[in-house]
Amino acid sequence: MTEEQDKRIERTAIEALSSEARLSYKVEVTDRDGRVVQREEGPSHSYVRQWNEILHLQATAIYIGGGGTVKMTDGSTESNAYYSVRSFASNAGIGVDRSGLRVGKDSTPVSINDYALGAPIAHGTGLDQLEHQLTYFTSPVVAGPTLSFTIQRSFVNHSGATISGIQEIGNYIEFTGSMLGRVALGFRDVLGSSFNIPDGGAITVTYTLKVTA
Amino acid sequence: MKRGLWYKATVRDRNGKVLSCENRRSRSMLGNWYRILYAHMASTSTSLVHTSGNSWGVINFGDNWKFVAAANEDYIGIVIGTGVAAVTIDDYKLESQIMQGTGSGQMRHLASTPSWPSVAGSSCDFLTSRTFLNNSGGPITVRESGIYCRVKGPTYYGYACIVRDVLATPQDVPDGGSITIDYTLRITA
Repeated sequence: MTEEQDKRIERTAIEALSSEARLSYKVEVTDRDGRVVQREEGPSHSYVRQWNEILHLQATAIYIGGGGTVKMTDGSTESNAYYSVRSFASNAGIGVDRSGLRVGKDSTPVSINDYALGAPIAHGTGLDQLEHQLTYFTSPVVAGPTLSFTIQRSFVNHSGATISGIQEIGNYIEFTGSMLGRVALGFRDVLGSSFNIPDGGAITVTYTLKVTA
Repeated sequence: MKRGLWYKATVRDRNGKVLSCENRRSRSMLGNWYRILYAHMASTSTSLVHTSGNSWGVINFGDNWKFVAAANEDYIGIVIGTGVAAVTIDDYKLESQIMQGTGSGQMRHLASTPSWPSVAGSSCDFLTSRTFLNNSGGPITVRESGIYCRVKGPTYYGYACIVRDVLATPQDVPDGGSITIDYTLRITA
């Protein structure tokens, strides 16, 4: 067992003792034949501040003009943020890279003030681009004292070459608006190892949200 | 731990003197918290039992999660009770809620406004608190607390219990005294 695996097990044990609400991730790379060639899973490192700020918009029902401010993924600040049907929406469709799960190449440690991935991969089939697939959810399931659900998205490499150096994942969540919301970073993780996606292959990111009473 | 919920229960006498204080990690966000989150993240609807006991479900909607509460409102915001039943993931209300009022076993519910999340170091805290006054004429022992929020199902509006805790130590609130419940949702990068 490697030192990193040791640390991960220790971290998981600590979380199990101290946490009733947990976020964890799994990342898998498959080749063009669907064989898993690289895999990693572990506890998520972090939600970021926008998560609490959007929850606050909802909890206090901040309306238009109410002074809600949330930093968006483009670095600008929405100073008229308000409670909305779109809060936390992550159900991005095929080809949509403005929201939903994202992958990137930056390895800068997560900060509470992160507002975007450091180097997000864009949708497409060009150099260093990945085709963003539909976001899937599993419905909440109760098993014993625990309720959980998952969010999953695959990214397919049709760029013509291996895309190397995938080191970060995260979720771009919507807020404010009725049909199409603004977009903010909800959570971000830097992976323990660098992932390489062969041409014709794919990377699939799955987050599990879990709460135990 | 990167995200957690804490509560603090502070009891004061009629002169504002602190009689007791319990500060602990919250036992539980409930399944309902995550059902609402799922409805919003996936932009869909799912099952959920309202505080009324009706299985009206939840659909993504602007009003969901609202728990800012006005004075005298005992159906929304932080709530307290006398129940001691262990918390379960599918709890949909307090076991035995203390209602608004000045009658026997009742307490006056003051307004509650969650504060804007604050960042300090690597943490971001979201605090909400509420004070309850005991003008019932006798002591009241508080044993449970929680949060009720606004929620909308595909057809009906209602309220959902999203947090419930059984206090480690029952808190005796003397006549003329008060109890303040603080909940802090902390995320740490």
